[in-house]
Amino acid sequence: MLFTRQNILGERRLLLDTTLLLIGGGTLAISFYMAWSIGANDVANSMATAVGAKAITFRQAVLIAGILNFIGAVTVGKHVTEIIKGHIINPVIIGEPKTLILGFAASLLAAAIWVTLSTWKEMPISTTHSVIGALVGFGLITCGTSCVNWKELGFVASSWVLSPVFGCILAFIVFKTIVKTIFEQDNPVASAKIVGPIIIGITAFLITSSLLLKTLLSEILGITDLTNILTISAIISIAVIGISIFLLRNIEAKTDKDYTLVENIFRKLQIITSCYVAFSHGANDVANAIAPVAAISSLLSSNTLGIYAEIPTYLLAIGGAGISVGCLTWGHRVMKTVGGRITRLTNTRGFSVDFGAATTVLIASKLGLPISTSHTVVGAVIGVGLARGLDAVDLGVIKKIIYSWLLTVPVAAATSATIFICLTWIV
Amino acid sequence: MVKEKNHFRTPISYTYRRKSPFDQLLDHMGKVRECINILGDGLIRYYQGDYKNFSEIAKKVSKIEHEADLIKRSIRNHLPSSLFMPVEKGKFLWALREQDAILDHAENLVRLLDQRHTKIPKELQKSFINHAKVVMKTVKAMEDAVESIRDLLETSFVKREREQTKKLIHKVHDYEWKADNEKYKITEGIYRLEKKLNPMDVYHLLKIADWVDDIADHSENVADWLRAMIAR
Repeated sequence: MLFTRQNILGERRLLLDTTLLLIGGGTLAISFYMAWSIGANDVANSMATAVGAKAITFRQAVLIAGILNFIGAVTVGKHVTEIIKGHIINPVIIGEPKTLILGFAASLLAAAIWVTLSTWKEMPISTTHSVIGALVGFGLITCGTSCVNWKELGFVASSWVLSPVFGCILAFIVFKTIVKTIFEQDNPVASAKIVGPIIIGITAFLITSSLLLKTLLSEILGITDLTNILTISAIISIAVIGISIFLLRNIEAKTDKDYTLVENIFRKLQIITSCYVAFSHGANDVANAIAPVAAISSLLSSNTLGIYAEIPTYLLAIGGAGISVGCLTWGHRVMKTVGGRITRLTNTRGFSVDFGAATTVLIASKLGLPISTSHTVVGAVIGVGLARGLDAVDLGVIKKIIYSWLLTVPVAAATSATIFICLTWIV
Repeated sequence: MVKEKNHFRTPISYTYRRKSPFDQLLDHMGKVRECINILGDGLIRYYQGDYKNFSEIAKKVSKIEHEADLIKRSIRNHLPSSLFMPVEKGKFLWALREQDAILDHAENLVRLLDQRHTKIPKELQKSFINHAKVVMKTVKAMEDAVESIRDLLETSFVKREREQTKKLIHKVHDYEWKADNEKYKITEGIYRLEKKLNPMDVYHLLKIADWVDDIADHSENVADWLRAMIAR
């Protein structure tokens, strides 16, 4: 509907073909479907460890994740986004708008189908990678190997190694720190009362700085200077430390080894980090679902395609809503795998995983490294396991998960190529 | 008020999820405890010549042994080679095996006692009861040592907890040694009385003493495997 109105008023060049128009409108539906599947698959990244550690219940997790994803998508979601993730294909070579529109629709549908399939199989995969894979498939079918940016694809492939390794190392360090500073001390609860707030402070620092670094929020608030951002984050984190020390002041250990109490302190921490991951997930990944729609709408209205496309807020809201619905309906599926099948987590472990993964993703995304949250979380679980922190890590499940990662790009590419060919027959 | 929740255990509603092998080991231990409690009381009453309800006890012990077997099987079935554990899997399985042996011996013992009510001579009654008590203490000490796995896991095997577990293991060794001494006292007494007793009684008395002592031996074995598990 959106395109009809826009086009009757504006350019008429592309309106010649009604089928094309239908596809353009259909893309909006497909992008909602894509957002739904992203929500269903990726909610596990943020909430699985919290659910696995029984900090919150399944219901609470999907509800919180749904709300935070939506808010994240609408408020911090990027209004200007790359049309083609990582410039994986060169749209200039393809040129023709009709082909591009069909291609975007096909890629989006193919990516969404693969993500849905993985969610059904309860595998945590990278939704970004499926989008990239689908675009590669479309690029290959239209103009052969020449328009695919192979170097970029190699960069993406490096994420298979980089994400788990970084997540693993960071989670290992975080967990070892917790062991050394809390569990090895003579009075673990007293130590946790000091270390806990410091960790909360670091978390608060990371959250605020990531919220302010190159986001819409920082533009609204008018804080763009790096030193300003760091100062504000530092002030907030110190305030948070103060508040948490105040809140924890009454907690007293019943025995010398009141580990339950230590876990309880970390339970609260873990909920905060989980919420943060959910929020930033909505902000980062909403573009995966709606960037192609934005691109098509700009193609339809101006018949040109830049490297970046404007995303109107209502599209962000549609994407955010899709992700939320995905969280609420099918979010429990992958969560079971990460939170329960790989291993059983307690709160300190869950926190280490969350913190390691969130920090890796944050730093990597600011550095421009291709890191996938799903891959990082799985790596972080292994990291805690290597630190002798877990009762049992099921490497069999992890092997299956890794297979699904490796399959993502080729399967999405093949599906997208097939759908594209079918679409060109129809149109 | 913070609800006191034991985060180490998986609630029943989560049993569809694969349980931690350590939780299952402790579940199995729970069966051992249940069984030994029943057996301990029954044994002392039996020694005192009270055979009433002993068949009931034997049945109960058999039932518990069977339940424990199911747990053991489930642990073994769910311990694929791909499972990555903080302790060596082989040692873990050996500990489980020895833990199960306690139950096997308990079952054999109650069956034997139930099939033939062997009267304990007045002179030996005290030593028999003492022996049984020390054996039960050995098992209890072993239970404490195995229970400390929880704290070990929670702290990811910090030194303080390992030292504590080692102390508990030493206790098991002490009790086992005491149990052995009690057993030698019993056998000595039996040989002293051998002229007075009928040969079948001698045979059974020796066998009972041996089999009760086996329970302590296997408890010690569990403790030894635990020691091996936590060694770096």
